[in-house]
Parts: sequence; C-alpha cells; structure tokens
Amino acid sequence: MRKPLRPADVLTYLLLAAGAVVMLLPFAWMISTSLKSGEAIFVAPPQLIPARPTFDNYSRIFDGIPMGTFLVNSVLVSVISTTLMVLNCAMAGYAFARIAFPGRQVIFYAYLATLMIPQQVTLVPLFALMTWLGWGNTYQALILPASFGAFGTFLLRQFFMNLPREVEEAAFIDGAGHVRIFFSIGLQLARPALATLAVFAFMASWNSFLWPLIITSSQSMMTLPVGLSFLNGRYATDWNVLMAGAVIGTLPILAVYVFAQRFIIQGLATTGLK
Amino acid sequence: MHKLTIGLAALLLAGATSTAVLAETTVKYMTFSAAPDYISQLDATIKAFEAAHPDIKVTYETAAFADYFTKLQTMIAAGQAPDAFELNYENFVSFANKGALADLGPLLSSDKSFSTSIYNPTALAAFSQAGKQYGLVESFSNVVLFYNKDLFDKAGVAYPTADWTWKDELAAAQKLTDPAAGVWGDFAPIQFWEFYKTIAQNGGSMFNADKTEVTLDSQANVEALQWMVDKVNKYHVTPTDSEMGGQGDGDLFKAGKIAMLRTGIWMFGDFAANAKFNWDIALEPGNTQKAHHFFANGVAVSATSANQQAAYEWLKFLTSSKDAVDIRIKAGWELPAVSDPAYVKGYLDQPMPPSRKVVFEALDSAVTPPVINNWNQLTDIVGKELEAAKLGQKTPQQALTDAAAAVRPIL
Repeated sequence: MRKPLRPADVLTYLLLAAGAVVMLLPFAWMISTSLKSGEAIFVAPPQLIPARPTFDNYSRIFDGIPMGTFLVNSVLVSVISTTLMVLNCAMAGYAFARIAFPGRQVIFYAYLATLMIPQQVTLVPLFALMTWLGWGNTYQALILPASFGAFGTFLLRQFFMNLPREVEEAAFIDGAGHVRIFFSIGLQLARPALATLAVFAFMASWNSFLWPLIITSSQSMMTLPVGLSFLNGRYATDWNVLMAGAVIGTLPILAVYVFAQRFIIQGLATTGLK
Repeated sequence: MHKLTIGLAALLLAGATSTAVLAETTVKYMTFSAAPDYISQLDATIKAFEAAHPDIKVTYETAAFADYFTKLQTMIAAGQAPDAFELNYENFVSFANKGALADLGPLLSSDKSFSTSIYNPTALAAFSQAGKQYGLVESFSNVVLFYNKDLFDKAGVAYPTADWTWKDELAAAQKLTDPAAGVWGDFAPIQFWEFYKTIAQNGGSMFNADKTEVTLDSQANVEALQWMVDKVNKYHVTPTDSEMGGQGDGDLFKAGKIAMLRTGIWMFGDFAANAKFNWDIALEPGNTQKAHHFFANGVAVSATSANQQAAYEWLKFLTSSKDAVDIRIKAGWELPAVSDPAYVKGYLDQPMPPSRKVVFEALDSAVTPPVINNWNQLTDIVGKELEAAKLGQKTPQQALTDAAAAVRPIL
C-alpha cells in the first residue's frame, strides 16, 4: 500500500529530480555526441537528440586504435589491483584494530599521514623505483602501486574496531588464531565495508590516468584512459569519436555500481564514516 | 670450488665482452607528432634507418601532445630520459634553458659528410640558443593569406601579391565586402598569436632583443592593434564574434563567406577537399615590413644520454634524409624544414593551392613566438587585454598599457 504524497514529499522529489538532471546531463550529452556525425556536433542551436544518429563513431574507434587491448588491460589491472587492495587493507586494518604490537599507534598514524602526500610528489621516485626494478611497461608496475593504500586501511580499521569483540573472543577460546579469525570471522563481518572499498578502489583504478601514462610505453600495455588520450589531437579533436570511447569506458563502471549499489549504500551507512 | 667460480666468472666475462662487441646500440626516441595517425610512417622511417645503420636500433614511445610533456619531464626528472625526443619550439626554449639538451655542435662539426645547409636556415636557427645548436628542425608550419579567387573575380579586384601592404588589403577588403550576400572581405583573429605577428608587420615587438624589457605598449604596437580592431569596428570588413554566429573562420571561408583569411597551412587538406571554389594563398601583407608566423617541431638529444652519437644519427636521418622526407610528404605528416627543392618537390607538386611555394617564401620573414619562462602567464595576460580591446571595453592604447604593466613583473 502506498502512502499518499504530502506537499513536502513533492518538493523533495522536485529537488531530487533537478539534481538528477544536473548530474545526468553531461552523460546524456556524451552519449548524444557519440551518435553524431562530425558536422552535427557544433550546430547551433545544440541538439540533444541527434537529427541523424549514426554508429559510425563506434566502429571508427575500434578501427583507429586498439580498443580491445585497452579494454582488456583496464579490466585486468582494475580487477587485480582492486582484489589486492581490498585484501591488503583488510589485513592491515585488522592488525591495526585487533593485534597489539609495539608502536602500533605511531605506525598507524604515520601511515595515515601519507594520505596528505599528493600523487604528483611520489610520481618521480615511484617511476625511478619501477625502472630500477626493470618493471617499466609491465602489468606489475600498473597493478602494485594501486594495491594498497592508507585510505582503505583506515576505513577497515575503523570498521573492525566497531565490531563486537565477543565473537572473536569466543573463537579464541575455541582455539582459533588470528589468521583463522581474520578469514573466517573478520572478513565475513566486514563485507559491507569491503564492498565499499572495492567500489572506490575499482573506480580509482579504472579512471587512473597519470601513472599509467607515465609507466606504459607501448600501446599493448596501455589502459583505456591513456589509450583514449591519443584521440585528443594537437590541432583538432574528433569529439564524436572521443565520446564514443568515453561511453565504452563508462559502461564497466556503471555495471559495477549497479551490481554493488546495495553494498555501497549499506557500507556508507555502517562504516562509521561521519 | 674456487677454481670453478673463477672459471665461471671468466666465462661470463668473455660472454659479456663478446656480446658488447656484437651489440647494437639502442636509441630510445619519444614523439608526440606520430601518434595516433602516423605510427606506420614512423615504423617505415625507422626501418629505413636501421637498414642504413645496422648497428643502431630505434625504439620509441608516444604520447598525445597534451600529456607528452608531463611524461617526458617525469622521465627526465627520474634520470630515465629517452636518448632523443621531439619538442615543439615553445618547449624547446625552456628545455634548452634548463640544461636538458645536449649541444649538437661537436657532433655536427665532426660529421664531415653532413652539412646543415640542407635545412632551411631560419628554421634551423630557431633550435639554437646562445650560439649552441641544441636541436635539429624536424618540421614546421606557418600562416599565410588564403583568398577566394571567385570572390575576387566577381568583385573585379586584382589578386593579392607579395607587394601588398595593409592599405592594399583594406582597399580590396572594402570592395569585396558585400553585406547583402553575407560576404566579408577580410578575416584575422584578434588573439595572442595573431597579435605578436601583426605587430612585427608594423616593426614592433613585445620585448627588446634580449628580452629584458617589455615593449608591449610601444607606438608601433598600439597602431597595429588599432588596425586589427578597426577592421572589425570601423571599416566593417571583418565580422564580429556575434556576426560569425559561433562558426569558425575556416568554416566561413569554406562556405565562401570570407574573401581573405589569415590562417595556417594545416588547413590545406580541409580546404582542398571541402571548398567548392578556386582559392590560393599569398604572402601576408605587412605595414612597414613582412612578418609571418613560424611554428616548428624540433628533435633533440638528451644531455644525459649515453648514446648521443647514435641518437644524433637517428635524428639526422629523421629530419633530413630523402627517405624520411618522402614518407612524411606522402602522408601529409607535417612539413619537413629542408631547403633542397628536390626534396620538397612532392609537396610543391600537389594541386591545391597552386602557389605552394609561398609556404617556403614566408620563412624568409619568420617571427618565432616571444617565449619567456612564464610563457603561459604571458599568453593569458596579453590574451585577456586583447579580448578587452576587441570588445571595445578598452582602447588599444589602454589595453596595451595595462598588459605591459602586468607583464613586467613576470619577465
């Protein structure tokens, strides 16, 4: 049974609808441009719905650049680095929350402080390190730097600290060690937080541009954002083709979000992030 | 046990030296102009080079122009600079000033079989700093006067010649402008790049010769800006922004709505394919002297490269060999800055526009961009003031006085 709408609800819906329009318009414009021919992009007045829609741009993009390779690389790098990120952060977060060891607080806050260091600062040393290891233009160089992070560790430490200790204490008494407790109990209870972190990590990895740009040197290793940057010409840019690429690049993120939406809302509500 | 170790070490050493003798040098090259459209041409050029130099192997990396310098600077900062890389003129100046580039002088002078006279002298000179040759010129482009012959014929006006001055241009533009048909006689944008070239046509400049003083607000410059603005607001031979209705100058030219247009030679392909009338190019009219834009890409060897000799050989081949020049011209991959007529014959022979030689003649009066360390700030400040003058918010005098005052602290 549905409740009748009150005037306040109507207002809420109107405000939310306005917000949705503002947020969605760029996406609508991206899709619209990707379906236009070159001459139709800049016609005045602008057309949101193309007069003569075409799918040419989508075939042109697969002909022009190795889109398939970029997609595979992006999926591979994002999935592996997200998995590692979630696992590493969960283990570190659990250790910081539950295992007493000397210097725990100092190490934790020192690690947390690395959040303050912008990526640009660590770029050159990281690049130097990777070339020293001989890892230039490799998957491990793309994946490993995105496989751990202070934000995720902090998120999961806070989550584990808020879990009731009683379950774990019962397990201890039954003879389980930290490893067993972490995998059998900690990870199970932390699912919403893990999902939240996974979504953030996946989006960050999928959209990452600067590091893949610097470390890759052949098209066979490039991820989607770097590959698409080649469509940006020095004198002119085929916006319709670029937008077709952007649409393709947005779909996986959308899929992940739709799939994990339930966990994200849950996660944001329960992680204690105020 | 020890003997074995020593034996192994000796074996390894022997192996190492013998490979060193056989080993080819690998030159790492980085480029923005090749990707994504000219990768196969770059591959072909490398293949031709490696055939001529069996002991040198070339590998390359590319990035889009907008991101190229981020990547290159990171690699240089991390001590991993590629042996050779491409630079546009504006960035060349700052890389050379920061000591990132090797002086090619010793390599050039010890290379007895090669003479730099193969390059256009103006274009080559742009890639030297303080008397040292830090780069070779790879390609260039410039801006000339495009004109619609059909509109000239219809108005009974003689075609532009190299002798034309601003006065002749204005007189022709006034006859060519036909408000009823929506035809404008003349067009040049009012912006930073057009400005530094136009003031040079009036004998002006933005700085003194050694770039220690700002001369933006000189009398010659005020006159030049007045002329740019007057074509729009006083003589009405050039459309205002609103009269252009959001269309680009190139589009209006293609539509037969602009009789004379100052724009870049990179429009040749577009106009040849899409302009349904006769058109040609001429040198730009000047006031007291000729002046033409000069934009160029050069190639340089890293100051820290261990393979400078090999890198130099590659760059020399890339910029001046008949093989490389032919590949470029055939593909329309920018215009090599070589002076030998036999080399650029393939370029001159293409049908549109008929007066292609003008592109090379314009080099005789080339002005390079007035690059200073705070280049981006300079283009912002001056661009903003030019905009104000264009919109009539400031007089040319006022705009340039304000621009000069704002530029002095950043010089």
